[in-house]
Amino acid sequence: MKQVSLFKLFFLFAKFGAIALGGGFVILPIIKRELVDKRNLISNNDLMDYFALSQSLPGIIAANISLFTGYKLRGILGALVAMFGVVFVPFWAIVIIATFLSSISGNSYVQGIFWGVGVAVIALIILTARDIWRNAKRNLFFYIIFLLALVSLLILNFSPIKTIITLVIVGVLYKRFEYVRREGK
Amino acid sequence: MIYFSLIIEFFKIGLFSFGGGYATIPFLYHISNTYGWYTVNELRHMIAVASVTPGPVGINVATYAGLKSAGLLGAMCATIFEMLPSFILVIITSKILKKFNDNFYVKATLSTLRPISCALLASVAIGLFKPILGDIKAIILLAILLILSWKSKKDPLFYMLIGGVVGVIMRIFF
Repeated sequence: MKQVSLFKLFFLFAKFGAIALGGGFVILPIIKRELVDKRNLISNNDLMDYFALSQSLPGIIAANISLFTGYKLRGILGALVAMFGVVFVPFWAIVIIATFLSSISGNSYVQGIFWGVGVAVIALIILTARDIWRNAKRNLFFYIIFLLALVSLLILNFSPIKTIITLVIVGVLYKRFEYVRREGK
Repeated sequence: MIYFSLIIEFFKIGLFSFGGGYATIPFLYHISNTYGWYTVNELRHMIAVASVTPGPVGINVATYAGLKSAGLLGAMCATIFEMLPSFILVIITSKILKKFNDNFYVKATLSTLRPISCALLASVAIGLFKPILGDIKAIILLAILLILSWKSKKDPLFYMLIGGVVGVIMRIFF
């Protein structure tokens, strides 16, 4: 495995961030092609481990993969460089687009587009929720936690963080209880 | 001091959102209701722009929300502090790697998080839907988009493109 300079690392990740439209699942094949297949900097097994871990950790999956890869290649500095690299192009793209949009937002057609994409976003979010629902192993535990979360968010008006902390504690305690009872038999 | 609140809020997003870019939206929605840095309608537009701009959606939308809340410095604070928890956690887990995902508590936490994320997104969809409740054309468009892609979710570009084109047509003819 070769050594890569921090400068080079920044540019590699800036490139990944610039061409990855979407998120973690899009950036994975891009990193694989460049760092595993072409440059032989990390092994495919390592990258797959990073991907699995990135999904288990909180935060943005694409940022997590970049951090793991950067850390593997050049330690803490490498992680920092990869992190700043991957957001470099998207950051300025958003700043420029947002400035441009706010200068034309009075235009009637632009308002029409805003209206339409605003509706499209709701569809996108409903379908994301449905995908999690479809792909999950739905047992009684899933349904109960799902209902409790809805009650907490919509009826009790708890914040997302309060809801997550409370229900994760409930869920983990239940799983522990279930595990101890099963092992005890 | 808005930057201080911004840093705290986006650090919390980085620490508590699980499952990728769209998982951060419930938190951004909560911020809009708590601080009023941007409206729910603006949030819908930010998500739309973030979905079709290069780069991870979760980072794009954080940059945009930070920019709307407190300008360029706000955008930097939001983007960097949303990733800071990841940075810390990646360095810690890099040492234990595979053992991490096999740990009982990690597995139990993740299997509890799945139904929670689902409920979070459902509640956000309801929250974003409320402002368009009186707009019958919007409800019809939403229904059509859902019917078109109920079998399988398509690329975010698909939804933005249809939404944008329909929006312009509405302006011309209605």
